[in-house]
Amino acid sequence: MDLIKLSDYLWEIPKTGAMRVPGRVYASARMIEGMREDPALTQVANVACLPGIVGYSLAMPDIHWGYGFPIGGVAAVDAREGVISPGGVGYDINCGVRLARTRLHFNFVEPRIDRLADALFARIPAGVGSWGAIPGLSIEQLKEVAGQGANWALRNGYATERDLEHTEEGGMLAGADPDRISERAYQRGAKQLGTLGSGNHFLEVSRIDEIYDSKLADALGLELGQVTVLIHSGSRGLGHQTCDDYLKLIVGAMARYGINLPDRQLAAVPISAPEGQAYLGAMAAAANFAWCNRQVMMHLAEQAFLDALSIAPIELGFELVYDVCHNIAKFEEHSVDGRTRLVCVHRKGATRAFGPGHPALPQALRPIGQPVLVPGDMGRYSFVLVGLETAMRETFGSSCHGAGRLMSRMKAKKEAGGRDLHAELKALGVTVRAHSRAGIAEEMPHAYKDVAEVVAVMEAARVTRRVARLKPFAVIKG
Amino acid sequence: MPTKPTAPQAEDAALFREFEHTGDLGIELDAPTRGELFRRAAVALAMLLVETASVAEIEDREIAVEAQADLDLMHDLLTELLALFTVEGFIWRDASVTEAGRSLRVTLRGEPFDPARHAFRGEIKAVTYHQLMVENSPDGWRSRIIFDV
Repeated sequence: MDLIKLSDYLWEIPKTGAMRVPGRVYASARMIEGMREDPALTQVANVACLPGIVGYSLAMPDIHWGYGFPIGGVAAVDAREGVISPGGVGYDINCGVRLARTRLHFNFVEPRIDRLADALFARIPAGVGSWGAIPGLSIEQLKEVAGQGANWALRNGYATERDLEHTEEGGMLAGADPDRISERAYQRGAKQLGTLGSGNHFLEVSRIDEIYDSKLADALGLELGQVTVLIHSGSRGLGHQTCDDYLKLIVGAMARYGINLPDRQLAAVPISAPEGQAYLGAMAAAANFAWCNRQVMMHLAEQAFLDALSIAPIELGFELVYDVCHNIAKFEEHSVDGRTRLVCVHRKGATRAFGPGHPALPQALRPIGQPVLVPGDMGRYSFVLVGLETAMRETFGSSCHGAGRLMSRMKAKKEAGGRDLHAELKALGVTVRAHSRAGIAEEMPHAYKDVAEVVAVMEAARVTRRVARLKPFAVIKG
Repeated sequence: MPTKPTAPQAEDAALFREFEHTGDLGIELDAPTRGELFRRAAVALAMLLVETASVAEIEDREIAVEAQADLDLMHDLLTELLALFTVEGFIWRDASVTEAGRSLRVTLRGEPFDPARHAFRGEIKAVTYHQLMVENSPDGWRSRIIFDV
């Protein structure tokens, strides 16, 4: 693939063939060498063929080969003339991350890590078909969750008003239509509210081991040695089935709108088409389920801390720093070619990163910009960043979402063969509780890029600024 | 007229090959006939979900799918089977396939999934259309499937 170097951290894929706009990839020279032959770059070019796409087909530095869109892909399409692509959101609608802080210092928790890990593992179901975190919900109740998102958690004692203020979109995406979700999708999600799932989903207890900007850290209530909790999960079976249902519908409908795309998984219809509107209503409903899911898990995590450490809520001081989604399509205003346009931003493995002063941010965070939560691998570290003004001009207010895989799951499992993974992670200071060995093997630190390199590229491009680094010491996985 | 059900093959261990895919899970499978290809795909999915050696064949479930293209038949069959596991909690060890024109009837032999007895191998979110392939050549039938995991 031909790439034009625009700067030390930005590369362009020239517009050729059916591409409607050029592609742009944020990466260091070292990273770009590793991805030249990767199908992910072809996927960036394929996304550039979507009708109505504006600006560039973007890739963040954690880009890797996905299905249809690359993971780490961002595409903005004109809200009136553009298309919506369920594959540009992904199966795990509103997969995302939330960070909670505590008032505890690592020194207090360190002697009690095993007890804490056991309590979290017992409280928060993980693994295949994990269920039963809270009493089962009827289809009618699930529809309430899909309509209300984290507000449902608030009404049912799993959230505070403050939690909702510190969640992207207040934990409820407008335009949700719970009746657009199929019965099968509700059945798949029925017992899964408050569950982690498997794959790369996790709950990680960390300590802050580096502060990069003390003013920003103060504003987010973060300090060295502080214990935090990072939760990565999404809309579970309800979201997976919703994507599946609409992908099938849209694959069938695409020809009617004269849309031809290089990969069937990119299937798209006009936003204004009935199928497009139906998908958007269902997508928002599934996104709401995901916010409620992470909120309920945060509540369960708080209970686990209180039980395991025998402390009072006021001593624990469990508070949400922020919750971001990284698989979503949202209507936002952005400046394109010098004028403000309403666009639908597809973020597939990319995080919204609005800069300071943006009206979508809660009052308390507006002066500093939106927190961006970037998990790394479980052996190294994760980062807290904030969005900068440049993100609004150059990346449709978007940044990276994680480390990005370096190695296939198959290769990671092969390399882990015969090794004592628990002991290796313990040597790195990480206690792991997981339901399957394969789950740990696929997610071993060496399977991922170094997330520090990823966030360094975003900082060099002035898209986001580092605030703090989190060092995991207890991880719960499926 | 429906064809005869495809007989189960003895050697299921070499039923499919995983191929390198950075983010997800890709498999390739070969079969001498079209019906056997779908049967192997059904069994392969179960093998990706759990250690099927622990699954007893004590109950039958039937799935029917219909589509114009073999590609869609493969996608829809595996999607239905994934729902059988995730919604109904049924896991199978073997399958038989009856072909009738553009439709397939697949009988799954297994039992209700029990996490205490059936070792789980990994969650599969969906069957993607990305690079999905079903083709017939003089050497037989081949399919390539990428699952979102």
